[in-house]
Amino acid sequence: MSEKRTAAEKETLREILPEVGTEHRLPATPPPAQYSIETLVPEVRQQTPAVGQRATRLDARLHGLGQTKYIDDLAFPGMLHAKIKRAGVASARIVCIDTRAAEAVPGVMAVLTGREIPVNSFGPSIQDQPVLADERVFHAGDGVAAVAAVTEQIATEALERIVVEYEPLSAVFDPIDAMKEDAPRVHPPAGNVYAHKVIRKGDVERGFAESDRVFEGRYATQMVEHVPIEPHAAIAQWDSNGRLTVHSTLGRITLGRTDLARTLKLPVNRVQVVGTIVGGNFGGKNEISQEPVLALLARKAGRPVKGVYTRREEFVASTTRHPIVMDYKTGVRRDGRILARKVRLVLDGGAYCSWSETTLGKACILSAGPYKIEHLHAEAFAVYTNKTVTGAMRGFGAPQVCFAYESHMDEIAAALGIDPLEIRLLNAFDEGSSSPTGQTLESVVVKASLLKAAQRFGWREPRS
Amino acid sequence: MSELRIMVNGRVRTASVPPETTLLALLREHFGLTGAKLGCDVGDCGACTVIVDGHAVNACLVLAAQADGREVVTIEGLAPADPLHPIQQAFETHASLQCGFCGPGVILSAKALLDGNPDPTTAEIRDALAGNLCRCTGYTKMIEAVRVAAQALRGDRDTGAAAASPPAWSEA
Repeated sequence: MSEKRTAAEKETLREILPEVGTEHRLPATPPPAQYSIETLVPEVRQQTPAVGQRATRLDARLHGLGQTKYIDDLAFPGMLHAKIKRAGVASARIVCIDTRAAEAVPGVMAVLTGREIPVNSFGPSIQDQPVLADERVFHAGDGVAAVAAVTEQIATEALERIVVEYEPLSAVFDPIDAMKEDAPRVHPPAGNVYAHKVIRKGDVERGFAESDRVFEGRYATQMVEHVPIEPHAAIAQWDSNGRLTVHSTLGRITLGRTDLARTLKLPVNRVQVVGTIVGGNFGGKNEISQEPVLALLARKAGRPVKGVYTRREEFVASTTRHPIVMDYKTGVRRDGRILARKVRLVLDGGAYCSWSETTLGKACILSAGPYKIEHLHAEAFAVYTNKTVTGAMRGFGAPQVCFAYESHMDEIAAALGIDPLEIRLLNAFDEGSSSPTGQTLESVVVKASLLKAAQRFGWREPRS
Repeated sequence: MSELRIMVNGRVRTASVPPETTLLALLREHFGLTGAKLGCDVGDCGACTVIVDGHAVNACLVLAAQADGREVVTIEGLAPADPLHPIQQAFETHASLQCGFCGPGVILSAKALLDGNPDPTTAEIRDALAGNLCRCTGYTKMIEAVRVAAQALRGDRDTGAAAASPPAWSEA
């Protein structure tokens, strides 16, 4: 091999590996490509050749041609269409499910209930979510049965013929109520508070005692659905050797693969998950939903099975953003300097944990805001209610607490007669400031950003 | 069954479908034209937009039988990969598509607008795209792309679309 190298190649090799001769192996990685950097923004940091460059998205061409294949654009020979029956009641015991009439509908190839699922629970941190509800319904969007049929229409019609008898149970919908001792328990015998975090810094009571004024406020945000334009969709199919392939809109295919293997009681190496181009995720497609159902229907029917959520299912059965009830108490000096802050966050987790623990942690850490606060006590709870499950969504709890601490800041500024910009400049993080969890912060540009923004939109100009 | 004869992307197509079949289902499932997407199925999101006799319509709200004898243009009928239609080119150059799911619908709404109004105001562009929801990109870049595409279609030379470089994927 080495004899066949040209002189120029040998020269290149010598540059790459100056210490070794040409007889050595080629380096494991090729030399870095040389980019000519012509930045459009002169002072831009030149750490990466990407900054300041114009680029065309690699996927833009096929998107614009309408040739990108999303899940619903794929079809396999013999493929069936699945539909899931939603409970429609928030809290109930399932007495019995009669699927005989649905099975008799011409064109129906398989019917599935929760009792047929090998391991009927999943979730990224706490496995509290059934694939299909079997003994108990925890929220109205729970699936209770599923049908695979030759057309979507037949599947939908067959769902109507499935009769489910429920024994209604008491339900709780308000997270504050759900924390009370006598509240109905969503997952008995466990209590409704399933995750908790506390951050303590300094002595918050001493901080309040030293303050000139103490302000209190309660802020609350609502449940938000991601509404990707492409609904959740997947296709499941088995090969003749009992291996499962799932095409899915899942954003986390390796986690999904593990969850599929677990719920189906299969070795992980029997499961393949193919992630396709996704038509919007925003955190809402981060865990399995209907995939195990489709896999079991496909096994029963011996055919590939596709499932696409309706827009209604996106709202009632997919994850959403946590509503949070946020109580703030802040002690300040007369000049607006914050001395102490106490925060209590109650995250409405809905019926299942999903990504609540991640959201809870992030919301708690960020709840003090980008401000230097010596005495802090932040406490956060994630609470079960009989509502649509909440999970990951852009920011993992950060937008909710931002709404609260900035609203609180405006109220304090107004009460003290201080300009809202000034009170923020007085309290904002500096280079080297310490975060509530003790992290030393670098590249801090809060004040510079605020000033630049204020200048750009004319904050200091007189307002009419 | 409804017996249909429809001009789709310049070609006469026939089909025999159940009367409840929507135009969207006809295009996607019978003709294999999956560029029009099913997003909401109730005419809110515009992902299924196609052009029928020059008008941008939600294909999920139109029965296939209502399109009988009419002329339908889908995203597949707009242009080949090279050269692109000026609207597609402008959307690519101006990074107006992220996940791309709403893209075909938005581009066809823009085409229906520019076919009838070669020099629209920003307000007119906004109005034409009002029925197309996007959750990733937002509308600023789309409106900019439509404006540039309009210039290109009118024959103006100094446009971003005309100066566009070829996409990276075709060089691979």
